[in-house]
Amino acid sequence: MVEQIARAVSGGARISAEDALRLYRDAPTHLLGRLADGIRARKHPEGIVSYIIDRNVNYTNVCTARCNFCAFYRTVGSPDGYVLGFEEIFAKIDETIAVGGNQMLLQGGHNPDLPIQWYEDLFRAIKQRYPDFKLHALSPPEVLHISRLNNVPVPAVIARLVAAGLDSIPGGGAEMLVDRVRKLLNCYGKASSDEWLGVMREAHRAGLRTTATMMYGTVETDEERIEHMLRLRDLQDETGGFTAFITWSYQPEHTERAGIEATGIDYLRTLALARIVLDNVDNLQASWVTQGGKVGQLSLAFGANDMGSVMIEENVVRAAGASYCMDEVEIVANIEDAGFTAKRRNMHYEVLGDPIFREREVPRMLSLATARADGDASVPEELRNYPARSRQGKQLRLAQ
Amino acid sequence: MTDRSTFDGMMSRLQAGDRLSADEIRDLAATPDILSLGMLADTLRRRLHDRRVTYVRVAQYSVDHTWTDAIPPGATEVRITGVPGSLPLAVAAVEQARAAVGTRVVSGYSWTALAALANGGTPMSRVLGELRGAGLDAVAEVPMDSVGNLDTAVDALKAAGFDQIRLTIDKAPAADRVALLIRAGALQDRVGCIRAINPLPMLLSSVRPTTGYDDVKMVAIARLAAPHIDTVQVDWLRYGPKLAQVALTFGADDLDGVTASDAAPDGHRRAPLEEVKRNIEAAGFVAAERDGRFVVVSS
Repeated sequence: MVEQIARAVSGGARISAEDALRLYRDAPTHLLGRLADGIRARKHPEGIVSYIIDRNVNYTNVCTARCNFCAFYRTVGSPDGYVLGFEEIFAKIDETIAVGGNQMLLQGGHNPDLPIQWYEDLFRAIKQRYPDFKLHALSPPEVLHISRLNNVPVPAVIARLVAAGLDSIPGGGAEMLVDRVRKLLNCYGKASSDEWLGVMREAHRAGLRTTATMMYGTVETDEERIEHMLRLRDLQDETGGFTAFITWSYQPEHTERAGIEATGIDYLRTLALARIVLDNVDNLQASWVTQGGKVGQLSLAFGANDMGSVMIEENVVRAAGASYCMDEVEIVANIEDAGFTAKRRNMHYEVLGDPIFREREVPRMLSLATARADGDASVPEELRNYPARSRQGKQLRLAQ
Repeated sequence: MTDRSTFDGMMSRLQAGDRLSADEIRDLAATPDILSLGMLADTLRRRLHDRRVTYVRVAQYSVDHTWTDAIPPGATEVRITGVPGSLPLAVAAVEQARAAVGTRVVSGYSWTALAALANGGTPMSRVLGELRGAGLDAVAEVPMDSVGNLDTAVDALKAAGFDQIRLTIDKAPAADRVALLIRAGALQDRVGCIRAINPLPMLLSSVRPTTGYDDVKMVAIARLAAPHIDTVQVDWLRYGPKLAQVALTFGADDLDGVTASDAAPDGHRRAPLEEVKRNIEAAGFVAAERDGRFVVVSS
């Protein structure tokens, strides 16, 4: 049976949920890898593995969603809660440009004290200072949060943010697009499966390209992992708006949910299966930030054609216990060591050129930066211009 | 891998109990096709060990350890690490370890540390003989890239009664390791007393760490180049659960260096033993604990 399915996949046939489950459960790991690698080679025959130099910035850690798998968020009024100031974000952009970056991945908590005007003003200010710099920002649950907080429909939120400078939307917050799972992870409230997909549908209709993600390894069944992939595949058939798929394992340290992390083999098998199921998504990223550089590199044999981002900064996964770091030199070394050609890309997966460190001197980066230095509890001055919704936020504004 | 027919031919020969030539091993080492390489190594691994993966819990102590603390009861091997300042100090550490652990296996030292003792004028045969007499069951590491003359070293160990030799690699780059692994395979054909080979570097470089491709490739090459060396190991602590687990599908059948006690200051989410078993089973294998003599003690 596995051999039959493997032959069909090798021949380019679309796989059913039932056959995907059979492959995932019964196919030897190398066979899964070979099938996925074959699809990667068909989609990317030139042997290029891409990566992007961008910075992963979390503008606030204050969040009302309270997902039980998250170690990053702080509740409203927490002394550890922060909102980055515009100047702080500009400084991060300057540092990103200095190492050859052209984009910021900007995501944050569902902060009730940041109205839509704050996002619009931030985006406009960034675009005014850095006209060519790209904003890959605000995952679907954040868009929903802004919509709900401001009583503005999702299409209008997207239109306003695009007008302010939003270039693309990251696929965060998908977790597992199965409502049974979302309820157990306490993330159904922030966005149901349909709502997450609905925001992406609207974004694609508005002409934005987005990514799609999957966090596995919590409470889902094998069937539910496949259901998640199929829901993405269906939307991709409809809109064609997903540029890439990224999957990673749940990182349990310091989270309310706790538990243990899925193994490296599980990651490679899940990645390979995603390459097989998501036959209409061109790019699959390796999640070295959760798997480490070694399994991250091995992902390139299991269907991945992209090493993701240099990141420069990372806060969310680090809070949950993983603190891997790879700068451009190391990412390129890993790509080339695996027999591929390394190319820089943008969010649309268009090749920008060869590694930047071969064009000019770039400082080595041996650890990822954080949102703020420990103990920095400063409150950005411009926050006083934006009305707060929470009681604690209002008190803070009065004290400013 | 050059083409499908070459791969199929190699697979058929391995399944029939044949071995690959040195030239074929070199060709395989040059290919980025790690999946085909892994399939070949896994085929040989399964022929030799079926689905069994062994692991050993090791308590490691420096040569100047005072041996006043209790040895973790889970340890089936006590390993003395470091470079002894003199032969009497090396012997004394073994005697103390032996007294502390009873019948459990005492291993210790790298060949290079012992060779330094012999450089002081003491014949190597005497160094090995005194350590053996003090109760040393095995020399912990025989680093193929650092021993000088590997044949001479292995012959000396065998003559001293060390009949379960463990070959390791200190830091040779991947390109050099292929030749070393081919040599190990040929050496085993002659001596027959090499029990295990650990093909990943013991000395880790933070400046230029090995890559995931390097690591799984070397594990697979070790299996294919030395089919008569029963055990291909990966160090659990050095290489971590993820790489070690993946290596099991690339020809490794043994996890060395599992901690015998939970030394994390805040505790682990899972006891090390449970984590090892979970990773072995999640890779589709059956876990079996062995002792320092490579005898399975529980499964």
